[in-house]
Amino acid sequence: MADKTKKQGNFAPGDAPTYESVLQCMRCGFCLPTCPTFVLTGRERSSPRGRVALARAVHEENLDFTEALKQESFFCLDCRACTTACPSGVKAGEVMEVCRSQSHQVFPGGHLSKSFRNFILKRMLPDPDLLEAGMLPARLYQRLGIQWLVRHSHILKLGPDWMDKAEGMLPKLDAPLRGQLPEMTPAKGEKRGRVAFFLGCVMTLLYPDVSRQTVRVLAGQGFDVVTPAQAKCCGAPHMSEGDRETTRELAKFNIDLFLSQDVDYIVTDCAGCGASLKEYEELLAEEEDHARLELFRSKVRDVNEFLSEVGLRTEELQEVKVSVTYHEPCHLCHAQNVSAQPRQLIRSIPGVEFREMKESSWCCGSAATWGLKFSEESQQVLDRKLANVAATDADYLVTTNPGCHLQLAWGLKQADMPQPVIHLMELLGRATPD
Amino acid sequence: MASIAAIKQLIDKLGAEKVVAEKEDLLTLGYDSTPGLLHLPEVAVYPTTVADVQTVLGIARDEGMPVVPRGSGTGLSGGSVPHQGGVVLCLNRMNRILEIDEENLTATCEPGVITLDLFEAVADKGLFYPPDPGSQKISTLAGNVMENAGGLRGLKYGVTRDYVMALEAVLIDGSVVQTGGKSVKDVAGYAFKDLLCGSEGTLGIITGITLKLIPPPQTKTTMLAYFDAMPRAGEAVAKIIADKIIPSTLEIMDNATINCVEDYAGIGLPRQMAALLLIEVDGHPAVVAEEAAAVEKVLRSVGAAEFKVARDADEAASLAAARRTALSALARVSPTTLLEDATVPRSRLADTFAEIERLGEKFRLKVGTFGHAGDGNIHPTVLCDERDADEMERAHAFYHELYEKVLAWGGTVSGEHGIGIAKKDYLAKQIGPAGVAVMRRIKQSFDPQGLLNPGKIIAD
Ligand SMILES: Cc1cc2nc3c(=O)[nH]c(=O)nc-3n(C[C@H](O)[C@H](O)[C@H](O)COP(=O)(O)OP(=O)(O)OC[C@H]3O[C@@H](n4cnc5c(N)ncnc54)[C@H](O)[C@@H]3O)c2cc1C
Ligand code: SF4
Ligand code: SF4
Repeated sequence: MADKTKKQGNFAPGDAPTYESVLQCMRCGFCLPTCPTFVLTGRERSSPRGRVALARAVHEENLDFTEALKQESFFCLDCRACTTACPSGVKAGEVMEVCRSQSHQVFPGGHLSKSFRNFILKRMLPDPDLLEAGMLPARLYQRLGIQWLVRHSHILKLGPDWMDKAEGMLPKLDAPLRGQLPEMTPAKGEKRGRVAFFLGCVMTLLYPDVSRQTVRVLAGQGFDVVTPAQAKCCGAPHMSEGDRETTRELAKFNIDLFLSQDVDYIVTDCAGCGASLKEYEELLAEEEDHARLELFRSKVRDVNEFLSEVGLRTEELQEVKVSVTYHEPCHLCHAQNVSAQPRQLIRSIPGVEFREMKESSWCCGSAATWGLKFSEESQQVLDRKLANVAATDADYLVTTNPGCHLQLAWGLKQADMPQPVIHLMELLGRATPD
Repeated sequence: MASIAAIKQLIDKLGAEKVVAEKEDLLTLGYDSTPGLLHLPEVAVYPTTVADVQTVLGIARDEGMPVVPRGSGTGLSGGSVPHQGGVVLCLNRMNRILEIDEENLTATCEPGVITLDLFEAVADKGLFYPPDPGSQKISTLAGNVMENAGGLRGLKYGVTRDYVMALEAVLIDGSVVQTGGKSVKDVAGYAFKDLLCGSEGTLGIITGITLKLIPPPQTKTTMLAYFDAMPRAGEAVAKIIADKIIPSTLEIMDNATINCVEDYAGIGLPRQMAALLLIEVDGHPAVVAEEAAAVEKVLRSVGAAEFKVARDADEAASLAAARRTALSALARVSPTTLLEDATVPRSRLADTFAEIERLGEKFRLKVGTFGHAGDGNIHPTVLCDERDADEMERAHAFYHELYEKVLAWGGTVSGEHGIGIAKKDYLAKQIGPAGVAVMRRIKQSFDPQGLLNPGKIIAD
């Protein structure tokens, strides 16, 4: 984290990538072939190496924080494939994430757009009640979400057909899960421990059935599951749009809330939330008590990571006779380094035939709002993914993140492909007896 | 100097999508993997056809504008850095594999094909393209040809040059020359393609490459040996060769490298060991078994601390992959990573390691060493901080003294990374004034105006 009072080249005061973090890049280019935006364009400035070089140039006062750099920071999918690929420990995706927050300082949007984005990002997402109240009667969120994009279409440079796409991507909305889930779901069979379930905003709104299964599976595996209803948004959408301050507030709130629960672990079924929760420690390093941050961090687990760590009880599982392939969400495999565990779970479900796809860790092109901002590029990234899915000829496409879920389901539908997309917990849910 | 008019002409003739001149583009096309170099070009072009390349050269000729070809910018001697400005010619979008000829065992490619992509495409057809530089997953074939890149398999299979059968090049006057062909023998005229190999973009722009393919080895065995003293590892290398065993791979990593690679790859390398040798023998199963046993015997006789054989192909592949990350992984230790490419006759390897150790202590530097030990080609890498002027001075003194020794032992200043900007003076020392003069005459006859990658290789 940058010392906010220190001079940081041509960066505006506030959050900026540290000089050390960009100096670390030795320009070997290992990250280039794994970066979707570089592979699409072949343009060095749209590569991790190029992006880090631009941030370095701003530090060294060879470049102002320009409109073009801002565009690069938003064009970056934040998929973190470069982090996994980089032998020197450079995190180009994170450098770009911080640059997004710079861009808000350097280019504050127009008044109207700003108030809209503030409304959505500061008010709607952080406050679950407001969000759901707005959602239920008139799908206000959906509308406002789109309206927010309209307002921003000029600065985000939205592709021409993004609006149809946004509408087409959203699944049919059910009643949100929050409020329906009991605060405590008791363990079944021999009890193995007590966990808190972090229910993400997108999960409760768009995929309530998935998270219902997650809780069922956890209980079926012998865990008491506590679901604190007051939990706020993990902060990932704010972080990804460059609003680090709101992210910090949300983080503090969630840390307080979850540390006050008497639980062994904090588990989430959303890869985006998991990555974000795990980054609280770094985000708050300068403001919060270190021991508390560490304690919080030590408890957070993605649900796949968790189940594989404690060991899946398979004796009672029912047979599910299907073939599946698995798409790795960037925020699971690259951001959290959780890659073997989901496969291990899939393989231990009786009856399931697992078919590995090529390039399983290649981004699906969704990456939060990226899929809406850069429709054409996103389509190309998606096509590559769909071809790999098709080659497996599996019955189901399994993934573990709502953003990927949305994008893949939409893509499969467009391409007239037969595979339904399901979350790994849904698959496991089918194997779990009532 | 690229005038505004030149940029306009480029856009008019090639279309705006092939020409970039925004500062953000120029800043990111002004470096390669060589530490410390950054020079902005005035414009950059992404040609997709031979005609595009001719157009650029035509405008460059009229404007007297330097032309610097670039593949993926992973060079380690500054070859693609436009240190005199001008236009950077990015060839990475010319990346089609045009033909894999299974009758003649050749592959014909555009210049920007990624090395590993070719390897995989021919492997799908049961064929083998051996040159595998550490950077293979992103380096381009033309970049490999222009630097005459080696790799992990160099010891047995040779370097890029050994696989180049034909080249197509555009010369600065716009003419296109074809040199070589699919015939396995060819002595018609000067060995022009051999002159182009390793010319670092100073003689012509490569637009087509025909490469030799071979049948893959039937089987291989990958071994690891650990040592508690570096010179002992050097001795092992010399002895394996002296015993007339030619492994396909014989790579070395020292303690600092082992630790950095382990930090990244986490494959269980022993952190306390002074050195590691990665050894692979391949070929007919009977021969492989015999050679593996012979290698093991040598290792035991020189007192390797530990010896193990890779379980299966996956483990072997992950070991080779880990070795390829050595340089980048070392870079995590410090902000600046200076590396060299010293190559000595293999009997001098143990001496060279001892000298590196001595000089590292003398100049108080943190040094990590790895490389293609079997080729006598090692990369002593100084881990330093470019903001510390005193340390940088000591680092340069370190290399200076090291190269004096290397040359005295009959070695070379570059085994595979080329001369570029970084090593012009060392080259002059190695080949002497007569050598420099003849190179200058060759350059002159190809490029009288001195526009193609000016200021590279030949000391001013
Ligand atoms: C981590 C790492 C490991 C490496 N390992 C090895 C190794 O094991 N062995 C090895 O030999 N090298 C190695 N290298 C060095 C480097 O990767 C090679 O020199 C490689 O061949 C460069 O390819 P490139 O496409 O990046 O070329 P660039 O760096 O872009 O260019 C190299 C030279 O070729 C010229 N050039 C490029 N394309 C053309 C063209 N079409 N026509 C004319 N001239 C052209 C350029 O002007 C320049 O002089 C390594 C580098 C890194 C960063
Ligand atoms: S970010 Fe990492 S992998 Fe990419 S060029 Fe820099 S050091 Fe290499
Ligand atoms: S996060 Fe993804 S899109 Fe962004 S630079 Fe890294 S690899 Fe490229």
